[in-house]
Amino acid sequence: MKAVGARLPRYDGVAHVTGRTEFVDDVRVPNMLWAKALRSPHHHAGIRKMDTKKAAAIKGVHAVVTWEDVPRLVYGHLEALGIPGDEPLLARDEVRYKGQPIALVAAEDEETAQLATEAIEIDFDERPAVFDVRKAADPDAPQIHEWGNWYPHFEAEMDVRQIRKGSIDEAFDKADVIVSGVYRPAAIEQMPLETQIALVVPEPSGRLTIYSCTQALYFSMGVVAAHLEWPLNRLKFVGGTVGGGFGGKVDTAAETVTALAALKAGRPVKWRWTREEEFLCSSTRAPWHMEIADAVTKDGWILGRKMLTLHDSGAYARFSPYGVTKHSFHHTGAYTIPNLHFDGYAVFTNRVPTTAMRGFGVTSVSFATEMHVSRVADVLGVDPFELRLKNANRIGDTSPNGIAYTDPSTVPTIQAIADAVGHELPGDYRTMTRDPREGELLPEHLVAQVGKVDH
Amino acid sequence: MAKHTGRGYSAIEYPTGMNQNGDPSQAWIKIKPDGRVDVFSGTADIGNGSKTIQSQIVAETLGVPYDWITYDNSNTDSSPVCTGTFASRATFVAGKAVEKAALSAKQKLLEIAAKELEIAPDDLEVVDGEVIAKGAPQRKIGVPDVAAAATWTHGELITGTGAHLNPYAAIVEPETGKVDSPPHAAISYAACAAEVEVDDETGEVRVVHLWQAFDVGRAINPTLVEGQIQGGALMGLGLGVLEECYPYYPSAEHRGGEFGSYLAPGIEDLPAIDTIIIENPSEAGPYGAKGISEMANNPQPPAIAAAVYDAVGVWVTELPVTPERVLRALEKKEQGPRRDGKWVVFDEDISVNTVAAEGSRFRFPVGA
Repeated sequence: MKAVGARLPRYDGVAHVTGRTEFVDDVRVPNMLWAKALRSPHHHAGIRKMDTKKAAAIKGVHAVVTWEDVPRLVYGHLEALGIPGDEPLLARDEVRYKGQPIALVAAEDEETAQLATEAIEIDFDERPAVFDVRKAADPDAPQIHEWGNWYPHFEAEMDVRQIRKGSIDEAFDKADVIVSGVYRPAAIEQMPLETQIALVVPEPSGRLTIYSCTQALYFSMGVVAAHLEWPLNRLKFVGGTVGGGFGGKVDTAAETVTALAALKAGRPVKWRWTREEEFLCSSTRAPWHMEIADAVTKDGWILGRKMLTLHDSGAYARFSPYGVTKHSFHHTGAYTIPNLHFDGYAVFTNRVPTTAMRGFGVTSVSFATEMHVSRVADVLGVDPFELRLKNANRIGDTSPNGIAYTDPSTVPTIQAIADAVGHELPGDYRTMTRDPREGELLPEHLVAQVGKVDH
Repeated sequence: MAKHTGRGYSAIEYPTGMNQNGDPSQAWIKIKPDGRVDVFSGTADIGNGSKTIQSQIVAETLGVPYDWITYDNSNTDSSPVCTGTFASRATFVAGKAVEKAALSAKQKLLEIAAKELEIAPDDLEVVDGEVIAKGAPQRKIGVPDVAAAATWTHGELITGTGAHLNPYAAIVEPETGKVDSPPHAAISYAACAAEVEVDDETGEVRVVHLWQAFDVGRAINPTLVEGQIQGGALMGLGLGVLEECYPYYPSAEHRGGEFGSYLAPGIEDLPAIDTIIIENPSEAGPYGAKGISEMANNPQPPAIAAAVYDAVGVWVTELPVTPERVLRALEKKEQGPRRDGKWVVFDEDISVNTVAAEGSRFRFPVGA
């Protein structure tokens, strides 16, 4: 029997639907302590002083972990890709979003741990905050991040992700019509059924066993090892089965702090976020602000696109610069546009840091550009299917970065939808293929766009 | 006051694998003395079905029944590196790693079988759990017998390892974004049509029907692909008309902190869904597969928003398309875009040009 292409049942389906799959919160080990976090009540504040003595003295409390307990406080999760770190594992002298973790308490039960977090004495100095990405570069905007209000460390220390191709000025000159619009998709909750959680067990060998809900075992193990300054052989991650992860479970949100608490207490510690923490303190899909101006001809050719993107990164960089770059690479969508001028900024605000979520960087740009294309078709009075098919990526066309497409499928997918909804296409659009451009589909403005495909 | 029906369309693409690549996956396989197969891979299954997909790839590549496969991704002591389950990479990149591990285990299996059958390994193939001489199918030996012979006769262990890495694509011109090699493992494509019903009195938008066509390269498991596309559709519907963390964005206040105060799609929001799978094999993916898991929630929001325009004549460009936004847009419907020379300028009220202060770096000049 052929296995590939077969409608086989899910490997883990029966266990899932009968409630027998073991998730991290199902694991109990002897001598286990429970953890609760002290989180920032302010959007932006300095921390003048913090005293944990009273909390540590409460009966049943076994460890209070603060920034002082972290061997390497700041580690950027994408340092390997050249994105430096900016976020302390636990806040030191400043909090930049409501819900930011400041301390973790491990105690005999969750109630005692919660009480102890409330006994930590802390003196805040509230500071002005920025929430609107559009106003983050105003001359009188308060500076909320040590790097400034937007990410300044793209290649060559540029503070903007740029795409330039052809000449946008020439495209605007030659256009019959230029259509501009503004697009703003909202922040979205990840909302996994399994909230962020970790259980860390100190082993007699000196190793730590970390039960994790991560979407990326080795990636998260690297994060913990970096903060602890330990080699990988002293860590064992147990996981691989996740109760819903849409990007947010790459954050490694609970593992490292829980490991520090387990080490300090010398006992196993479990930290499970409440539903309220999952909603209010875990990272969201980013809100985006996008402005587009498309230079088009009367008969529906897109000659050029100018675009400005402001990505609301929240308080720290996390994966945002990566997301902006990915966004920029896909800002022409499923079409071939010869003249491009794109500027994208990863802007800091005083909200919960945003992170990867299903479609990272591209969900936003697909919304903006596709809605814009629908608008352009409407303004021109051109059939929306025909406009899309005409400009569709074809084999050999080049991407915004100058890479030739080898197996694009804009044409077959659009034809399938036209067919499904009974939208009558004219003959040449019905028989159109994704093969390299020629004849009427290779107008002068696209000649330079056809690259060489290496098979 | 009435309900109006409208349709909108979208066509999208999405990369498989991390942007700019550089994200390895590794796997290894051992075969037990009775021919059953243990696969060790570090890919977390986040509900995407990667345990199933990777087991299918191993069964197909080794030529043994699917139910002979045990898949272990439970810990980092046993399993090698998988960069992670994100970037739509678990089927393509991690799938490629288990495919290569299976090919290497199969080579070792054939070497042992060659000793037993006294036929060169190159003249053998594995079909349905049996090693068969090419062109002489009566000369054969079961995979369980080969595994037993390896263990008890030859003192060998049948294993295989595999790894896959698309090399990192560097940005060689930061000013233009030019890269030195393809910054993706593959690109997948989809198109979508949405039909909505809009109540011009309450502003409520109901998504009635979604038609979705995805080119997946090759559907390793069509049932799981359909599940991804249909589950993604509901998530995209949430993005389009229901969900927002900050109801008064950019204000950070009034967030919903529980299921009851956050509008995620429920089963009552489920529209009719037509799913069309197209298979133009990718050049490098396992059995021609591409990743589509993330993009499954991308085509619906723009199609839904365009359908709202088709229904009531207003472009709501801030998501989600809530009743309040629809009603406010209807109030301003007659206003239309500003026409200036050959420019048609929409949405100026929410542009940086209006909201940012004089002297801001963030500007987007429009108009003649």
